[in-house]
Amino acid sequence: MGRYALQRLLGVIPLLFVVSVLVFMFLHLIPGDPARLIAGQDATLEEIMGIRQQLGLDLPLWKQYVHYMSNLLSGDLGNSIQSGLAVTDMLMSRVMPTLWLTFLSMAWALLIGLLIGVVSAVYRNRWPDYVGTLAAISGMSVPGFWLGLVLIQIFSVELGWFPTGGVDTWKSYILPSITLGMGIMSMLARYSRSSMLETLREDYIRTGRAKGMREYVVIGRHALRNSLIQVVTVAGLQFGFLLGGSVMVETVFSIPGLGRLLVDSILFRDYTVIQALLLIFATQFILINLIVDLLYGVLNPKIRYSS
Amino acid sequence: MKSKPKVWSMFMLLLIMAVVAAGCGNQANNSAGNNTTATSQPQETGTAAGSDKDIVIAINSNFMTLDPHNASDTHSISAARTMYEGLMGFDENMNVIPVLATEHKISEDGLVYTFTLQENVKFHDGTDFNAEAVKANIARIQDEQNNLRLRKSFAKVASVETPDAKTVVFTLSEPYNAFLNKVAMAPMISPKALAENSADIMKSPVGTGPFMYKEWTQGDRLVVVKNPNYWQAGLPMVDSVTFRPVPENGARIAMLKTGEADFIYPMPTEQVSEVEGQADIIVDTTESTIVRYVTLNTMKKPFDDVKVRQAINYAINKEAYIKVVKSGLGSKLDSTMSSKTQYYSQQTGYDYDVEKAKQLLAEAGYPDGFATEIWGENESETIKGMQFIQQQLALVGIKVEVKSMEGGTLSDQINSVQTPEEAKVQMWYVSWSPSSGDADGATRGLFSSEMFPPAGSNTAYYKNENVDQWIADANKSTDSEEAKAIYADIQKTIWEEAPWAFMGVDQIISGKRSNLEGVKVFPDGSINILKAEVK
Repeated sequence: MGRYALQRLLGVIPLLFVVSVLVFMFLHLIPGDPARLIAGQDATLEEIMGIRQQLGLDLPLWKQYVHYMSNLLSGDLGNSIQSGLAVTDMLMSRVMPTLWLTFLSMAWALLIGLLIGVVSAVYRNRWPDYVGTLAAISGMSVPGFWLGLVLIQIFSVELGWFPTGGVDTWKSYILPSITLGMGIMSMLARYSRSSMLETLREDYIRTGRAKGMREYVVIGRHALRNSLIQVVTVAGLQFGFLLGGSVMVETVFSIPGLGRLLVDSILFRDYTVIQALLLIFATQFILINLIVDLLYGVLNPKIRYSS
Repeated sequence: MKSKPKVWSMFMLLLIMAVVAAGCGNQANNSAGNNTTATSQPQETGTAAGSDKDIVIAINSNFMTLDPHNASDTHSISAARTMYEGLMGFDENMNVIPVLATEHKISEDGLVYTFTLQENVKFHDGTDFNAEAVKANIARIQDEQNNLRLRKSFAKVASVETPDAKTVVFTLSEPYNAFLNKVAMAPMISPKALAENSADIMKSPVGTGPFMYKEWTQGDRLVVVKNPNYWQAGLPMVDSVTFRPVPENGARIAMLKTGEADFIYPMPTEQVSEVEGQADIIVDTTESTIVRYVTLNTMKKPFDDVKVRQAINYAINKEAYIKVVKSGLGSKLDSTMSSKTQYYSQQTGYDYDVEKAKQLLAEAGYPDGFATEIWGENESETIKGMQFIQQQLALVGIKVEVKSMEGGTLSDQINSVQTPEEAKVQMWYVSWSPSSGDADGATRGLFSSEMFPPAGSNTAYYKNENVDQWIADANKSTDSEEAKAIYADIQKTIWEEAPWAFMGVDQIISGKRSNLEGVKVFPDGSINILKAEVK
């Protein structure tokens, strides 16, 4: 498994290279001139040309790419076109809020999602199942943007329990992670329910029960673990998409994270920042997929990795 | 089997309790838990209402830079003005007033500006503010290598001399009527800080202003603290000010309601009625220098006919536009600039008159109207504005297709053309605000024939030789009455020739807690906190 993991990790490098070329090309194909956006409404053409020159945007595209890559390989992500700050510094200050947010969202979504799924499966077609299904379907249908604002209205404005946004205390993370995790929780609830139902029909479950095993051992140790494989796949994929969701949640809750940085930098055509962010997101996606693959083996020792 | 339901329901109950407990946890727990990300951030700023002399201001977007010579967005200018001051500044009506200069003299030929400086003013790093400091700042602004946004404002400065420590003499290469406004836009940075870390000045501002820099986390907060040695006695009256970018309108207003923010700007127009009547929230409005209009491409058919352009002005009900699109918060645009801009001269006419519009269209040879398209950004209020115009013009037979585009893309569409013939823009619904409140800034870039895109923003492709000449004359005028008269002619002529559909002037709307006083948004959209006071 170690060797397999290493191979997969090495495989990331050419993939990232391809991503970097694609990102670079597409970015420069989007209409919009960062120099003009920086210079402001009443800028003169001479000023704009000056900025373009200063930022190296007047060079041919391939030259810009070579510059960018050679800097990247030496670990330099460059400076933000818009603010002139070092991209590395910007990312460092933004990464923790987003990590906390995605981690907390995923954690509660997994916990509650699985719980609802398992309860629904065990009490199939009885009231806990109906309640669980209702919860999951509502969670899936609620638009995150709206949910965020409703939560702010109820828990911040009316009740005053949580701050409306920012990242000042751990409390600041509660409402955003509920908002961000809601959709995934619901999806996991549905997947784990159907996966559990399937597993519960297996012979070994009947055998377990016939042996006189306690019900929580049958459910918890045998059925749940076997049904987790599907859940892990879905959760892994969703984790990647969480970053997309964090763009919206970070805006609603004014969290200074990577998602908002992405939106801001796209509005200003801040090429260097967008490139760095997209590379990070791609790396993260690839790594999560790898972790999911490795988790399969942990969950089901019958799965073997061949290199 | 029997114990099964119990186990699960117990578990569920526990979870619910845990979630509720997390919600009710008291303040004492705040320092514990997932606080890793907040290490460099002061805890007390989270609750603005609780702390007496620390105020929180929520704004709608990030500061782009803290380099006061390189700021082109209003928020960066607001931030700069908390820490920096210039020789001149603006009052709340955008009149130029002396700040670090006690007085100024302008020579008869309009070429020599002599400023006498305030004495006993120190920069935050303890060094003296004096004539040499002014000279060093102007040198930085003028240095081509630095490519700073302010450079073009000082392009006509031929020399800066310092006969003594409290006198600075600017000699211009030609008269420049807007020069004092430009001086008011140029804050003074400590020359010592400039010499030591010129490259990082935007991250560590050192000025003479009422507040000193404490920390800036881009996207999260800018904190400035009281300058204890500020030269104006008794000011500032608050200990610290935290600016927080909160892009979502709903969240910004929620912060004001909960007291997490003491002041928000902009206040979302659609929320004004909701908070009206609440005792602890006050909504302030003030007329801005932001004008909204539709440029009509005067080099394209059918807009090349002045009658068509006038017809459009008659066909749009501006009062209804203010009510419907601006939620009643604004006023009709009755000139080429707002009443808060220097040398504004009010115009009359173009009162809503559908019959007159139809008649003018018929005279121009379009009795049945024509089809055209209007461009604008994809933000909801702009789209609403374009749809309103579409609906109004439909009544006189003009079929308008609304094309909304993302800002960067739209700017590219407008500015990527090299000649007027290439231009595809027909109608563009847009706004403009002169950055230093001067008439030149509200006129030259928009109406001079040298300013067709990509050189400038004359997207109406308006060309009138008289206007071109007058703009140059006014600019060189050394007498403000004369300049005023010239600008009156310019406004009158442009108003009659109608290269724009003149729409409205924005109101600046801010919201504040009732115990906060002295925070004001100026007509240019910059927030002034010099006299902020918590009652």
